[in-house]
Amino acid sequence: MAVAGSLAVSACASGPIAANTPKSNGASFVTGNTGAQMFKPGDRPAAPDISGTTLSGSKLSLSAYRGTVVVLNFWGSWCSPCRAEAPTLAALSQKYASRGVRFLGIDIRDSPASAEAFMRDYGIRYPSLNDPSDELALAFRGTVSPGGIPTTLLIDRSGHIAGRIIGESSYSGLNAMLADITAGSS
Amino acid sequence: MAEVRTPGAVRSPGGTPGEPAAPPAFPGGPGPRPFGLPGWARWAWRQLTSMRTALILLFLLAAGSVPGSVIPQQGIDAAAVQSYYKAHPALAPILARLGLFDVFGSPWFAAIYILLFISLAGCVVPRAWRLLGSARALPPRAPKNLSRLPHAVRYATAMPVDGVTAAAAAVLAGRRFRLQRGDGWVSAEKGYLRDAGNLLFHVALLGVLFSVALGGLFGYKADRLLVSGQTFADTVTALDEFHPGRLVSAADLPPFTLTLERFTARYVTSGPQREQPLSFDAHVRYTAQPGGPARTGDLQVNHPLSIDGAKVYLLGHGYAPVFRVTDSRGQVVYDQATPFVPQDMSSYLSEGVVKVPDAQPQQLGFAGIFLPTAVDVGGQLQSAFPAAYAPAVSLIAYSGNLGMNSGAPQSVYELDTAAMHRLPVKPQVLTPGQSMKLPGGQGTITFTGYRQWVSLAINHDPGQIPALISAAAALLGLLLSFVVRRRRVFVRAWRGAGGATVAEVAGLPRHDVGGGFDAEFTELAATLRSAHQGGPPPGGGDGPPPGGQPAEGGGENLTAGHADPAP
Repeated sequence: MAVAGSLAVSACASGPIAANTPKSNGASFVTGNTGAQMFKPGDRPAAPDISGTTLSGSKLSLSAYRGTVVVLNFWGSWCSPCRAEAPTLAALSQKYASRGVRFLGIDIRDSPASAEAFMRDYGIRYPSLNDPSDELALAFRGTVSPGGIPTTLLIDRSGHIAGRIIGESSYSGLNAMLADITAGSS
Repeated sequence: MAEVRTPGAVRSPGGTPGEPAAPPAFPGGPGPRPFGLPGWARWAWRQLTSMRTALILLFLLAAGSVPGSVIPQQGIDAAAVQSYYKAHPALAPILARLGLFDVFGSPWFAAIYILLFISLAGCVVPRAWRLLGSARALPPRAPKNLSRLPHAVRYATAMPVDGVTAAAAAVLAGRRFRLQRGDGWVSAEKGYLRDAGNLLFHVALLGVLFSVALGGLFGYKADRLLVSGQTFADTVTALDEFHPGRLVSAADLPPFTLTLERFTARYVTSGPQREQPLSFDAHVRYTAQPGGPARTGDLQVNHPLSIDGAKVYLLGHGYAPVFRVTDSRGQVVYDQATPFVPQDMSSYLSEGVVKVPDAQPQQLGFAGIFLPTAVDVGGQLQSAFPAAYAPAVSLIAYSGNLGMNSGAPQSVYELDTAAMHRLPVKPQVLTPGQSMKLPGGQGTITFTGYRQWVSLAINHDPGQIPALISAAAALLGLLLSFVVRRRRVFVRAWRGAGGATVAEVAGLPRHDVGGGFDAEFTELAATLRSAHQGGPPPGGGDGPPPGGQPAEGGGENLTAGHADPAP
């Protein structure tokens, strides 16, 4: 029963609005389903080719990263666990830059002003696609989809999804996963 | 010495009355037969499907929902759960182990409602089976002594015995009675529709249970607040709330994308019903699949949009003032529409907060009110009308630590000022375009305009239509079982003294609450009599029987009581 419901209830939401008078206690970040999972080389689904506009206005697509390991991070500046994991992502993006790992963010339900302020604040230098409507997550439907915010997907060099972390990622956890993928050279 | 008798005991052949009977030799040895596992299973099943157990389970279901309403639930408000942990550090882990933070998903609650379902189904299915048998049964044999029945008539007729029974069968069959015939008697019964209705009610009840289970397993409810101009894709990360059924996963959400193009609300402007809403109309554009054709639609309250199996309802609306915040370094760190929550349904005075976590050097937070039609009444700011004829905001500014960086979830409508201090700036009323400068060069906040938001519910309930059909069928079945009565009519014929054939007609209503059987029996008996005696049709008076046979002495009584015995 827990397994069956596990994939479902992990939306990092930003407010329950029900009837005409919404309750004033809003954001319920349901973190019931945090966790990391890695997929074996034979079991990895192919990542969809998503493309969009970055926060600075240039066009970018995931297929441009083929041949490198990609860490795809769904985030928003309004989301507390995303803020908690931001130093981890900034540090690891620097550390693995020379080892052929590129980080790409997808900024959800956010405005460019807040997002850019967030990136300045935490020293995040990798680009993020601007996705206020969360349409890019639709492309992952049926494969390994983002189950909540934040979600971090690890995509290997051949463009297959090798791992997923739902919820705040820890330095040691993400570091271990990245070391695993880059060592396996897959 | 008392004689010991065990059920089924057989007195030994040589025993005398004074001796106790020898106990019979059972396979397991002397003594009471052991119950055994099948016996215990049967006993448990009978207990489970009894009405008393069903009522107890129903009470437990209600009682088990109480902690779900009193204690914060993980799936509904995780922030409240976390604050409960902080407030009751010793008690919270115990409650968590008992599953009280997720009552409706916990194993013990699931056990209660699964047992309740089994109990109801186990009670209804055998009853339905028995009703099916009863609805198809033939009427019983005609009793020997028909005079004992509450309605009985006896008369003589010239037709032979076989002719009497054949004529009776023809008449009764013409009235759609179900017949059973025998040697000199005809037994007829009508009103099986009652049992059919009862059967329909039981089966429909099972159907309702099944529909509820279907909805609970495969249905879901989701909510989203959308500001005009915004688009959202139907994914778990884009929804504000998502309550899936047991077997629903995020991949079952239909992949539509919906944009709120504009929202129009009209209100009554004058008269006694001033400020009452006239209509809400959300004009939306949507695509059912990514890359599919874009369609437009109008969402109104109680007129949902149906997209790929999901129904999108318009629930409520409000205002979202647009703010732009510049921090101490002159950079724009916030520039978006912020949904404010209406506090007063007639004037739509709304409250909300603005959180700017990336302002430098310190995080900023603002709490304020938005007034659609701001008026100053004796020094107090009030909203005179729900439409935005004179929008204004009034804000209080804070700076410090919002508490967002630690990762603990926070409400977007509440500002946690525990680690913040209020900025010493006089509260100002801002109209669109005006700014408030923060002291100490901390920045500026500008109220640039306002937009409106709508709250949408995206629901999917596969059990809705089956439940409707089942409920209607249950009502129909119940009606039939109350209105239709079962009644039996028996006809016996035998050769009486003097060669004449005596016919006796008797009737027995099985359920006669309304008392309408008397009239029916009277009319039926008169018809049968005229068929047997060839006399005038019923209601045509009391003419002499043309068969020439004199009526039995003493007359005939057509109502309850005493028919004359044949000589």
